[in-house]
Amino acid sequence: MNISEIMNPTIYSISSDKSVSHAAKLMSEYQMDSLVVIDHGEVVGLVTSRDVLTAHPNRIVADAMCNEVHYLLADQNIWEAHHYFLNENARLAIILEDQQVSGMITKEIVDMQIAQYKDPLSGLYRAPYIQFIGESYLQKKIPFHLLFIDLNNFGRINKQYGHPFGDDVIRTYSAVLSSVAEDQGGHLCRYAGDEFVLISTAPDALVEQYIELISRPTDVLDITVSAAVGHVNGYSEPDFFSHSWRELIAQASLASSAIKAQRMESSFS
Amino acid sequence: MFGDSSVYSRKATLSLKISEFEVPPMQDLLIIGRKAPIGPEAVRRMAEALSPEQFTLLKIDHPKIEAVLLRNSILQMMDEKLLMKIILEESERMISESMVLRSELKIALSVQREVDLL
Repeated sequence: MNISEIMNPTIYSISSDKSVSHAAKLMSEYQMDSLVVIDHGEVVGLVTSRDVLTAHPNRIVADAMCNEVHYLLADQNIWEAHHYFLNENARLAIILEDQQVSGMITKEIVDMQIAQYKDPLSGLYRAPYIQFIGESYLQKKIPFHLLFIDLNNFGRINKQYGHPFGDDVIRTYSAVLSSVAEDQGGHLCRYAGDEFVLISTAPDALVEQYIELISRPTDVLDITVSAAVGHVNGYSEPDFFSHSWRELIAQASLASSAIKAQRMESSFS
Repeated sequence: MFGDSSVYSRKATLSLKISEFEVPPMQDLLIIGRKAPIGPEAVRRMAEALSPEQFTLLKIDHPKIEAVLLRNSILQMMDEKLLMKIILEESERMISESMVLRSELKIALSVQREVDLL
């Protein structure tokens, strides 16, 4: 989803010579908590409800506004906007299309859209998130480790202990994966039922350690859980960047299935 | 008992005090508190409108004072850092965040030279 689909095409603006109390009145009228400050057709700053609360109402907007203005492009997607707002600690951005101001977007609107891509059970993002990260890395030619993590015997856990308990396992296991992913600056999602995908740019040795840790049987809620991890190493894989995201995810999931099959074989032999 | 003959009137007294408006009204310098009703940019615009190119606004990092507006001619006579040090030392004792102080600042040069007689 692109920013142009969710942005507000109306720019709520004020000029810098107006009073702070006038800005507060406009914010209340427009039901907005920020106004773009425009002088002679040029964007010069941003005044927020916080500025209005802290500045004397008699001051002019020029003395209360923040000069730092954030810009995003209309064809950028919501994940890029989400990351931008987080990294820049911004709350509002002006949208440019063909170098012209075409609208504005707030962090709240982006967050609301992003929330739709969150899995309510695990609190992790769903598959479209990891696809966005993967595709943007591929586009920028940034190599990465792709890990497809598939819980072993999860169907059996559901059958033996009931689905609510299975949900608890997913929730707890997600929290464990999430903390490890955060430690190495990785991106994690719940891909489907008991499958997770992680993208990491950490050094090989650390990723190997991580795979070893996940594959090892671990006690979760008084039962032992393990996972089969399919790994595609973008740093050593030949022609890594010639593959599409779809091909890479297929490769990683097949690798995970192969490990599972291997384990099944060895447990019967 | 009140009859029709009673008189009711309302009067206003007008009082005028006329004096010359000094241009500019802010003398040599203005010290602007962080929460003053008029901020540095408004002060700069006012000074620029009343006396173009005669004042300079200096924003400063101080807990109570946000900026100082200074007459350019003073800055030409004295080192800016030394001047600001003196202004801040003297004004920070009486200014609060919500105040704007104005001040007259005159520099008088006193010279005494000793020369050899021919």
